[in-house]
Amino acid sequence: MHIMEGFLPSPWWWIWIFISLPVIIYGIYKLNVLIKNKRDLLPLLAVAGAYIFILSSLKLPSVTGSCSHPTGTGLAAILFGPAISAVLGLIVLLYQALFLAHGGLTTLGANVFSMGIAGPVIAFVIYKACTKAGLNFYIAVFLACSLADLATYVVTSIELALAFPAQTGGVLTSFKAFATIFAVTQVPLAIIEGAITVLIFKYVIQVKSDVLVKLDVLSEAGLRKIKELTT
Amino acid sequence: MNNLLDDYALASPLRHSNNWLKLTVVAVGVLGGVSAASPVTPLFIALCMGFAAVVLAKVPVKFYLKLIALPLGFAATGSIVILFFFGSGNEIASIDILRYHLVIRSQGLNMAVLIMARTLSGMCCMFFLALSTPMVELFSVLKTSRVPDVFIELSMLIYRYIFVLLEVAVSIKYAQTVRLGYKDFLTSLHSTGMLAGTLFIRSWEQGERLYITMDSRCYDGKLAMFSSKKPVKAFELVLTSLYVISIIAISFSTKNMSIV
Repeated sequence: MHIMEGFLPSPWWWIWIFISLPVIIYGIYKLNVLIKNKRDLLPLLAVAGAYIFILSSLKLPSVTGSCSHPTGTGLAAILFGPAISAVLGLIVLLYQALFLAHGGLTTLGANVFSMGIAGPVIAFVIYKACTKAGLNFYIAVFLACSLADLATYVVTSIELALAFPAQTGGVLTSFKAFATIFAVTQVPLAIIEGAITVLIFKYVIQVKSDVLVKLDVLSEAGLRKIKELTT
Repeated sequence: MNNLLDDYALASPLRHSNNWLKLTVVAVGVLGGVSAASPVTPLFIALCMGFAAVVLAKVPVKFYLKLIALPLGFAATGSIVILFFFGSGNEIASIDILRYHLVIRSQGLNMAVLIMARTLSGMCCMFFLALSTPMVELFSVLKTSRVPDVFIELSMLIYRYIFVLLEVAVSIKYAQTVRLGYKDFLTSLHSTGMLAGTLFIRSWEQGERLYITMDSRCYDGKLAMFSSKKPVKAFELVLTSLYVISIIAISFSTKNMSIV
């Protein structure tokens, strides 16, 4: 769910750019460190980025005519952590603005904050918390990805509400209004995104499970447990 | 999905115009639109950009209108909220929906129309850039403007991969459809998951293969790029200056204008 070019009025579009900038700079710093140490990860990261782009241009079975779509950032956050996901999110959003005119340049800050920063952070925190709590891996993935999608939509609603507070009731009333309107498409989508990410992980575990161990997403023992459960 | 705007940009006659000039035109339009106080300036910008895309960049009109209609749908849903909840002023109309009493006030109406106009102008600017400047050209702009190397490198690799993966995705999806993959909601869920999972694995393998290939050709983390010099033509300069001056003039003269 991207905010279109020109939708955010003057103080707000650059406020969000300033808020997102430090995170992006930190992400690029982390990326630099990662690439310096393990240069062979660069193509891998690029593939993950392109994958987010393709996933968000694939039409999911959902409510037609919606501008919302899954992002795959939850998946990237589980694999690479939130800081690097933010950089990937920025690149993908930039491409979507330039290739598809989906989103925009002035609203890039707000979009990066909601989709590239808030979503991945929530996904990462929930995934870590669930695995710590000993929850089933697939349930953890489902919760992380669908809640990340929901977080993206809630933050977008907050961004819109802050820019356009209601006459009576202020930001809260207008947040409720924006959230209600977008909930129609976003809530089912969040659930679908969670389900699809679980399916993705199911295939990855079946075919190329060593990749998950390499990226510290799963421990060797955890992986064996999941495989035993499914077979 | 197959028709990225980049394909149009590569075939566009404006491809060979100066990149900085095009970026200036877009930046002026985007900033002019977003900071406009009345809907007149954004509409003027939208008109100019539409003209540039259809006449100068030779984009089919029907295709262009279809492109614009989509994002405006999102803007419209957002504007409805602004229309009913935002601003003070005289009551213009009121509707009772369920048990809510919704009132449209003059400021809200003005704001909603302004937002729609701004979004339209922003979209037209973005489409102009997307339809006239291929990404490859923008990379050379990025390189000269001191963006961190890692970022550009990653962007360039992602760019390359988008096309590789898109091709694979389309062929897998076709194969799935032929085998009754997307026949109802549940199977389409399953098919999408399968497609995404396979795509993920396949892209992973291709990423590793690419790394080996590039490494064996002495890749050191920097892709060299060819960028040709594109001088600004006098005609383009005149047109751009006219455009910038009119935007400034219009936004000053219509500063206090409003619909209601």
